[in-house]
Parts: sequence; structure tokens; C-alpha cells
Amino acid sequence: MDPRFTALLRPLLKFLGERTITSDAPLRELGLDSMQAVELLFAIEDTFDVTFPEEDLSDATFATAGSLWSVVQAAMEAQHGNASGQA
Amino acid sequence: MSTPFPACGTEDLQAAVERVALVAGKHVARTDADATFPTAALDAMRQSGLLGLLVPVEHGGLGGDLRSLIDTSIRLGRVDMSVAMIFAMHCQQVAALVNHGSAKLRQELLPEIAAGRLYLASVTTETGKGGHLLSAATPLGQRDGELVLDRLAPIVTGGDHADGFLITMRSPDAQSPHEVSLVYAHRHQLEVSGSGEWDPLGMRASHSVALHLAGRLPEHQIVGRNGDFRSISIQTFAPLAHLGWSACWLGTAAGALSRTVKMLRQSRKTAERDPLGSEFLLGRLAGARERLDSVHALLSHSCRTVETSSDLSTPRIQLLLNSLKITASEECYRAVDTLVDAVGMRHGYLRGSPTRLEQALRDLRSTTLNYHNDRLRLADGRLVLLDPEVTFA
Repeated sequence: MDPRFTALLRPLLKFLGERTITSDAPLRELGLDSMQAVELLFAIEDTFDVTFPEEDLSDATFATAGSLWSVVQAAMEAQHGNASGQA
Repeated sequence: MSTPFPACGTEDLQAAVERVALVAGKHVARTDADATFPTAALDAMRQSGLLGLLVPVEHGGLGGDLRSLIDTSIRLGRVDMSVAMIFAMHCQQVAALVNHGSAKLRQELLPEIAAGRLYLASVTTETGKGGHLLSAATPLGQRDGELVLDRLAPIVTGGDHADGFLITMRSPDAQSPHEVSLVYAHRHQLEVSGSGEWDPLGMRASHSVALHLAGRLPEHQIVGRNGDFRSISIQTFAPLAHLGWSACWLGTAAGALSRTVKMLRQSRKTAERDPLGSEFLLGRLAGARERLDSVHALLSHSCRTVETSSDLSTPRIQLLLNSLKITASEECYRAVDTLVDAVGMRHGYLRGSPTRLEQALRDLRSTTLNYHNDRLRLADGRLVLLDPEVTFA
């Protein structure tokens, strides 16, 4: 996962403690609430210059750090032709 | 909603529903006046097989679908909103067991429900969490291979009469209050205590009391997996709540309009001046009917959407289901409020009128509070922000 992505996540996961954010980190259990999810998406859109189609914003997307990151990557590939976040 | 009712043993479902509606109608004035649970209507639900409406046929139930739940809730709501809500909320619990329970739990419980021996109540309220469905403060314990439950619940509809409970608890070893498990407990597995006090404005026969529940349960009585309540809620619990409640409320408002129209047509025969000559009255009758048709259309569309969508968690579907609940709660109440103005003091405000508008208005006043519209609008506001293209389900 891109370190810019995990840097956006870390302050929102109040039950994470000092642990590393792994792909299987359960976002809601670690403290991500629905308002923070909205702010997180806005921050991801700004950082990676992508927008998310509505159908991608299902509950499964927000299940883990890895599931959210894979949606971000898919959006980058679809919108920029690469998954690096560089337009 | 013209889906034929599925077969129901020797009598079809429609006959079973009419039987329950008849019993509910006989007792509605007394249970409302005394704020007592409609035990006769519950007995009729047990005996007619209606408690097993959503239990699959292979487990002895009626195998009814979502549409049959909605039709039945509307029909019972026409007679008594408390009876309808008791039924719809029981069915919501049954659906959670059918869709998410383990094979062992389904095998144990579903035939009992179908046989009318298991009326289920929902225990999701908890003090201090502000009505938030998807969080839980009290942890479920685990000791010697058993689940240990000890919990207060400020409001449990039918709590003094339920044979079993589906209870939300913080999962064992949860890191946060958002890890919630749904657990089944039979009444005889618990020590159940409470004050039994219940003296509300409306919904008086729902007898929604505060309870203290404590007991030890086998581990297989967790519905789904530990921490699974969020997905149970998204896929089953919340959709069935919003569809079922809205159907009850629509039924109550439709019953109120029906009785009002019948009263007005009857009164023409004896009145000196034809009441139907009033343009104010006609406009108000039309306004009430418009509100009910809007709710009915939204309910039908939401039902179809739930039946045909594999993932109910996307913003457009969550927004639709929340809109249904909010719209039904506000419009059904307003429709009856309009009827009170339409017919005036005697038939609109006094107890004892055959229109029963006074009771319908009191009962429907609860709808905005029953999972508060403010909380739903807060969630909706966030969902709206996620969908700048404004896509519709």
C-alpha cells in the first residue's frame, strides 16, 4: 500500500495503537466511523487525483485497509492508466 | 402489491391474516386504553401459523416472501398499529435467523417459530449509545465454553411476552464498540426482570418495557459470526425494519382514511347539510390520499430494489431505504393529521369516534422517534456527499 494512503488512514484509526497498518487491518473495528470515512475519501481523492463511482462505495470497500486500497488502485488505473497516483 | 399469498396448510395466508385482524379489532380499544399487550392477537398469530410467515416451508413455515410481509403488515396496521409492529418486528428477527443463523440454530428454532411456540423480541436499545444500532456498550462474556450475557435494555417491544430474544452485544474481545454480535437467547435461558411500567402517548399495546437480561448461553447461539451484526444489519435487519415499519404505518394511515370515508358516506344519509359539499373537506381528503399513494409507491419500489439487489450497502440503496422510513413516518402522520382537520372535533379529536383518528394520530406520532429520523438524516447527509452524480436505486 502506498505510504501516502496509510498516512491518511493512521490518524483515523484510534484503536490501532502503535501497530503497523496491514492489508487485513479491519477499518471499522479500528475506529473508522462514517463521517471519517467521508473525510478519508475526500482526502484520497485529493491526494491521488481520483474520483470514486458510487457503486464502489459499498460496505465491502471499507472492510479493510487492503480492500479500500484496491478500490483506490482500480480508480487510478481507470482514470490515469496507472496505479501510482501520478496523473 | 398483488403477489398471491403462499399456501398456509388448510387455510391460506389471507384467511390467517384476516383471522388475526379480526381478533386484533375486537381488542384494540381495550389494549389501547389499558396499555396492555395484545395477547389475544398474539395467540391468533401463533395458532394461524402467521408467526412462521417467513420460515421456509422445509422448516414447517409458510415460506412467505418480503411482499407477503409487507402486505400482512399493511393489513394488520389498518386495524392496530401495535399489533402490526409486534408482527413486523418478530418477522425481522425471523429473517435474521433464516438468513444468517447456523444450520444448528436454524434447525432448533425455525420449526418452533413455525409451530407458533416462539415469539421473538428485538433487544437493540441500550442506555448511553444514543440509539446507535451498530454499536454496543455491554460486552458478551465467554467462560468455560459458554457465552455470558448480562445486559440492560431500556425499551423492548413485547419484552414481557416474548419467548425468545435476539440481542445485540459487544463482541467478546472487541477492540471497539463497533464490533457487535447478535445473539439468541430463549426466555428460559435467562433471568428476566423489569419494572413492567409502560404508559406512553401512543403504541400503547406494544408494551415496550425496560428489561434486565442475564444468563449463560451455548456458543452456537451467536447469529452469524462474532462481530457480524454490521453485515446482518445491512443485508437483513435494517431493510426489513424500514420496509416492515413503513408498511405498518401506511396500513394505519390507510385504515384511518378508510374509516373516515365510510363515516362521511354514512353521515350523508342523516345530515341536514351534505358534508361532502365542503371544498375544504374534499381538498383535505385528496391531500391525505396523495400522501398515502406516495408512501405506497416508495414502499413498492424499495421492496423491488431489495428483492433484486445483491449488495444493499451502496449509498444509493441505503439512501432509498432511509428515505422510505423517513417519508413514511412523516407522511403517514401528516395524512392522519390532515384528516383530523378535515372532519373536525367530533370525529377527528374525540375518543370513541368510529374513525379512530385520535388513536391513529397518537400511534403514528411514534414513527419519527422509532430509530430517530434525525439520526437517519445524519447518516444520509454523509451518503449524499459520497454520490456527487446523484444516482438513483
